[in-house]
Amino acid sequence: MSTQVLLRAWLFLIGLSAASALVAHELSDVLDRRLVGMLILVLAFAKSRVILTWYLGLSQAPSWRRGFQVVLGLYCCVLFGFYLL
Amino acid sequence: MMWVLIISELLVFGAGLLAFSAVRLTDPDGFAQAQQHLDRTGAALNTIVLVTSGFLAAMALRWRESDRRNLARLALIGASLLGVVFLVIKGAEYADKAALGITFETHAFFLFYYMLTGFHAAHVVAGILILLLVAWKDAPRNIEAGAAFWHMVDLVWVLLFPVIYLFG
Repeated sequence: MSTQVLLRAWLFLIGLSAASALVAHELSDVLDRRLVGMLILVLAFAKSRVILTWYLGLSQAPSWRRGFQVVLGLYCCVLFGFYLL
Repeated sequence: MMWVLIISELLVFGAGLLAFSAVRLTDPDGFAQAQQHLDRTGAALNTIVLVTSGFLAAMALRWRESDRRNLARLALIGASLLGVVFLVIKGAEYADKAALGITFETHAFFLFYYMLTGFHAAHVVAGILILLLVAWKDAPRNIEAGAAFWHMVDLVWVLLFPVIYLFG
């Protein structure tokens, strides 16, 4: 993995983490609770994708990457389902 | 072999978070009130600390593969120091809870909170030791395995943080 790709992945992770904090702190009183929950989970899913793809090197194993993404995506949907109940 | 460990750990933490979410259904108001006692800012700061540490671990492998051994070692030591920072922030958070008289018996929320974050913190301790070990025995394969373990710790936190700290 090139330095530039790793640096970009890191900056992306910082941005996503800041966005999570912003959504939880600033938007939780403004937006619907369900929307806030969904945004927080989407951001967590995006962060996990970056870690799997660029830090754990799954960009070099596309079928594994797809498998992980599908399972993680389904898992996040189940978590969101619990959150909505 | 490392991937078997990574998948097993993800399954264990995944099951723990699902159990947490299921038990929350029995007392959503109690869980929401208990969550108010958590330090979201400290936890958000810890996310930054951990992803930065993961970046250094990834860079260490990159530098080792291009024969910049000293730089790789420094990056691994930096990554493990950030792991220590994570534990210090986590320790301060636990100390605050203790000062308020909050234990794992206070509410089901805190049982899961201590269990999941404590188990994760134990992995951080293990990760720090592994990073220091591979900084010493710095064959590229060793660094790759150590960094992969550290990224797994990072990945678990990224999923644990929103569910425990942010879901209100």
